[in-house]
Amino acid sequence: MTSLRKILCAEDDPDIRLILEFSLAQIGGYELCMCEDGAVALDRIDAFEPDLVLLDVMMPGISGPQVMQALRKRPPLRHLPVVLMSARALPNEIEALLEHGATGVIVKPFDPVKLPENLKIYWEYARDRAAGSD
Amino acid sequence: MRVLVVDDIEANRRELSRLLRAAGHRSVEAANGRDALRRIQAYEADVVLLDLLMPDMDGFEATRRLRATRQGAWLPVVVMSSLEGAAHFVRAIEDGADDYLVKPIDPKLLDAKLRNIGQILELQSRLAALAAHNRELFDHVEDAVLTLDAGLRIRDANAAGLELLGCAELPGEGMPLDALMSRELAVLLSAPETAGASHDLVLYRQGRDPFDAEVRVTRWRDDAPGRISLVIRDLTERRHLERLKDEFLSTVSHELRTPLTSVMGAMSLLASGAAGQLPPPAQKLLDVACRNGERLGRLIDDVLDVTKLEADRMALRPASHPLDSLLDEALAAHAGYARRLNVTLRRVGPPCGLAVWADTDRFLQIMANLLSNAVKHSPDGGTVELRCRLGVDHVRVSVRDHGPGIADEFRSRLFEKFSQASGENRRSGASTGLGLHITRILAQRMGGRIGLVSSPGHGAEFHVDVPICRDGAAPPALAACPPDVWIVDRDAAVRSRLTRLLAPDCAALAAREPGELARAGDAAPALLVADPVGAGASLDEVVRRLREAAGPAPILLYSDAVSAPQAAALGCDYLPKHDTGNDAFLRAARRAIRSDKGPGR
Repeated sequence: MTSLRKILCAEDDPDIRLILEFSLAQIGGYELCMCEDGAVALDRIDAFEPDLVLLDVMMPGISGPQVMQALRKRPPLRHLPVVLMSARALPNEIEALLEHGATGVIVKPFDPVKLPENLKIYWEYARDRAAGSD
Repeated sequence: MRVLVVDDIEANRRELSRLLRAAGHRSVEAANGRDALRRIQAYEADVVLLDLLMPDMDGFEATRRLRATRQGAWLPVVVMSSLEGAAHFVRAIEDGADDYLVKPIDPKLLDAKLRNIGQILELQSRLAALAAHNRELFDHVEDAVLTLDAGLRIRDANAAGLELLGCAELPGEGMPLDALMSRELAVLLSAPETAGASHDLVLYRQGRDPFDAEVRVTRWRDDAPGRISLVIRDLTERRHLERLKDEFLSTVSHELRTPLTSVMGAMSLLASGAAGQLPPPAQKLLDVACRNGERLGRLIDDVLDVTKLEADRMALRPASHPLDSLLDEALAAHAGYARRLNVTLRRVGPPCGLAVWADTDRFLQIMANLLSNAVKHSPDGGTVELRCRLGVDHVRVSVRDHGPGIADEFRSRLFEKFSQASGENRRSGASTGLGLHITRILAQRMGGRIGLVSSPGHGAEFHVDVPICRDGAAPPALAACPPDVWIVDRDAAVRSRLTRLLAPDCAALAAREPGELARAGDAAPALLVADPVGAGASLDEVVRRLREAAGPAPILLYSDAVSAPQAAALGCDYLPKHDTGNDAFLRAARRAIRSDKGPGR
């Protein structure tokens, strides 16, 4: 991996999905796989082979943290950067998500203009850490 | 008045009845004692005029038996006799009569005595009505009100008190307080002066869960020394509502942020030109929308902060931090904002080189509030100065602007909720009116304080005093207590009590089952406090599960169902629940944490 190219994204709110498409595809120029819940994300991830996964925390069915846990159990995806989006911004909740293995946490409301750059920073951070641990 | 006339001589009765009627009274006649007893059953006499000498039973016995028909209520009896001397009247009064008349009866004296008795009856009925009224009010009070004698037996209880005690009425000899006794209550009652103030305690009832209660103590002074009244308010419902409110707020916050994400996102994208270039008037309108969207977001944050802080439910995690780097971080965070408004942010004076005791995020929130306020109120091209001054036990961090200053009449309301000076400079986006209120509570919760020096026309200088941290230790008493303590107890009241006890110095996390804590995903705690009661498994099994959840942390079994040798055999610390006050619990918790920090870790 030399650059962040492909992002798989799961978000149940259709309006926020539209914002994310504008932000990541149009402004960020990333190749995007947009999923409407956690189950769809888990279905598509193998075929899409993303460089980074962006997940909403509260989704019906399989939640963002549950998707992340499932990914962490699969050896080829163990180091895949996972960024969670949460509308609950309590510091201990954010810490708990990071402890759980999230690469980063985006607090809603977020600025879609800055989001592509922020995800790039998370991706680079994860890449450096994976290189350090190998 | 209604008068029962008892005399065996008919002429006497008649004459007396006539006198009574003439004076405006009504009367019924009885010819002897037995007749009088029969009539008093049906006739609600206010007073009895009784001849002492009668053939069937004498006036002394008749007085006693007439009296007995009234069960406690006063039935005035006036005895009559033509015998010489006072001796028989003295005996009659000693036997229960209230007054006497010498035959032949003087009408004026009869009238005066009846009027006198009438006045006493009137006073008595007013007192009885007042007492009944008070009792009714007393029983309508939702709090339990108990009155104890000097031997701490419950002698009186209102309706709520009886319900609390679980009985329909108190036994005549009173009831021992044991049913509600907790060590804390015993301590409270043995203290000589505990009047007035309220005390939060945990109380026990036989066969039911312990409950959180607020207790007020009143000591009786003059008429019944040694008596104590307790007003007990059950806080179970209030605690439950607090929890519901927390959950509600958390949900509301989430529900508000979700649509705000779409609104703000769409506006930000429009403003960036992602959907095509906007004509300048549209851009101007969009700026208005963006600015107010941001303000709405800040309001949501602030309202949540205020609610949590005011209810004392925001967990702060203070630790030792170098002040200089905290201030650098705060300045860096506001450099962009200041530049946009053409204001210079400047650190004045040398670095202070000290560590302070603060929660990083919350300290930065305080600085953010002071700095953004100062920038906002600065004139175009103005300067904001940040300065440190050393106090005895604190560092004073001050932020000075050269704006219009704070008007005297506004100063007293400055730190209150939704306070905003009229004519406030709004060139930089309106504030929520909650910032300074939050800032003050945050500073206080970290052991600091906040203040203001300002004169209108010469700018404002806000300062926050932060406690200096020496040797990396917390200035408050719980010096060795690290942040995370987990509590496992099936009793919600115990959980909330321990959480509150630990709150100032530790981040307590409480749950019914060990499994819930493991799922919370937090790091391992410094101490696990647990009561294995009701877990439906053997003690060894429960402790095994606790170990699984807590990792290497020491376990303090805080329980009445475990003995000290049992706990020792399982390698756990032990503290009996029933016999432990707040201080003893905190001491044991600190000891357990400290012993774990010894060699080998």
